[in-house]
Amino acid sequence: MSQPTFPKNTWYVAAMSDEVAGSKPLGRKICGESIAFYRSHENEIAAVLDFCPHRGAALSLGYVEDGLLVCGYHGLKMGADGKTKEMPLQRVKGFPCMKSYAVEERYGFIWVWPGDQAQADKSLIPHLEWAVNPEWAYGGGLYHINCDYRLMVDNLMDLTHETYVHASSIGQKEIDESPVSTQVEGDKVITSRFMENIMAPPFWQAALRGNGLADDVLVDRWQICRFSPPSHVMIDVGVAHAGHGGFDAPADKKASSTVVDFITPETETSIWYFWGMARNFKPEDQALTDTIRDGQGKIFAEDLEVLERQQENLLAFPDYNLLKLDIDAGGVQSRRVIDRIIAKEQVKSSTIQTDAPLQTVSF
Amino acid sequence: MKIHSTGEVFEVGSDQSIFEVLEDNGVFLAVSCESGVCGTCQTGVISGVPDHRDVFLTDKEHAQGKFVMPCCSRSKSAILELDL
Repeated sequence: MSQPTFPKNTWYVAAMSDEVAGSKPLGRKICGESIAFYRSHENEIAAVLDFCPHRGAALSLGYVEDGLLVCGYHGLKMGADGKTKEMPLQRVKGFPCMKSYAVEERYGFIWVWPGDQAQADKSLIPHLEWAVNPEWAYGGGLYHINCDYRLMVDNLMDLTHETYVHASSIGQKEIDESPVSTQVEGDKVITSRFMENIMAPPFWQAALRGNGLADDVLVDRWQICRFSPPSHVMIDVGVAHAGHGGFDAPADKKASSTVVDFITPETETSIWYFWGMARNFKPEDQALTDTIRDGQGKIFAEDLEVLERQQENLLAFPDYNLLKLDIDAGGVQSRRVIDRIIAKEQVKSSTIQTDAPLQTVSF
Repeated sequence: MKIHSTGEVFEVGSDQSIFEVLEDNGVFLAVSCESGVCGTCQTGVISGVPDHRDVFLTDKEHAQGKFVMPCCSRSKSAILELDL
C-alpha cells in the first residue's frame, strides 16, 4: 500500500457553520471518510459515518427528528454516538454501533477529527484571534476542487502565480521581480515577499480607497504566507503608503488583511477549500465584507482550472519529478512538515487499528 | 430438540445451530440476521430450558424462557420442545 498523502489524526475544517442547519443533514467526505453532519439535541453538531447499519444507505439523505438522524430509506433513527436509538417495529439494542466522529463548532466553522477517535483532543484546534476579536471582521466561501490538497498548499505558499493567474486584480510584474525568503519554525513555514515603491494593483487600489487612503501614490507591498499543519495557510497581505514601514506602518497609512485558507482533503485528489479574508479595519461594515468576499471569490475562482488541469497532468505522468525552484521553497518545506507528521502517524497506527469502518459492540 | 406438532426429535451437535438442524430436516423456519439481532425466527418454547445467545429478547424475557431464537441459541435441558 502506498503512503497516505494526508494525516488523519488532526482537526480539519469540515464545513462552515451555516451549511448544517435545521433538520437537514450534510453529507461530506473528509479524508476519505464519508460523514453525515447534523444538528443533534439543542442544535449541537454531531458527526457519524454516513452509512446506515441496516442496509448501508447514506444517512445524510435523511432528516433530523428529535435530535436523531432518521435514515431516509427505512426510518432507522441514529444517535450522535453511532448507536441506533429506534426503528419502526424493531428492537435495536443488538444493532452494531457505527463510527462517530469527534466534532466541534468553533470560529464559525465545523471541525472534525477523521482518524483515531481516541486521540481527538479539542485543545489542539488552533486559536484564531481574528475570529474572536471584535476588532476583526471575516468573510469567506467554499470551493470544491479536484486536486491533491498539497497542490493548493503549493499555490498559496508561492504567490508568484498572482502575476499570471490573477493579472487583472492582485497580480503585478513586480511580484516575480522580487525574491522570496522562506523560514521554518518547528512545524510552521513562513514565506515572505516585500516590494517597495511600486504602484498598487487594482484590488489594492480599491482597498486603499475603502480605507480612505490615496490610491495613486507609491506603496510598499507585502505577502507573508504562513503554513501550519495539517493544511492551514494564513497570509498577511497589504499595501502601505511608501516609506511608512510597510507591514509595520500605522493603521492610517495602510490597507491590510489576512487571507484565510483551510484546505481539507476530500480524497487524495480532491479538496474542500475554505477561503476567506479577515480584516481589522471597519469590522462593522457588512457591505464592505460582502464586497471583499465577492471580489476574493472571483479572484480565487481563477485558480480552479489551473489546479484541476495540473492534477490531471500529474496523474497522467505520475513518475515525473517536478522542478523545485527557489520560489517553491515554501511549498517544499510545507510538504516536508506534512511528510514528517504522516510518518509519525504511521508508526503509531502500526500498533493501533485506526481504520475500522464500523465500531461493533460485543454481544 | 423436539418438534411439538410432529413429535420428531433431532439432535443438535455442538457445532450446529437449532436452525441448521431444522433446515437439514426440512422444517421451515424464517430467519434473517442469523445472529440473534432481528427477532425474525422467534419461536415458542413448550418445555425445556433455553440457553439464550441472542441480543433481541430482554433479560426478563430470557429469564421467563417462553421464547427462543433458534438461529443462535441452544438448550440447557436435554430436550427443548419447540412450538413448531
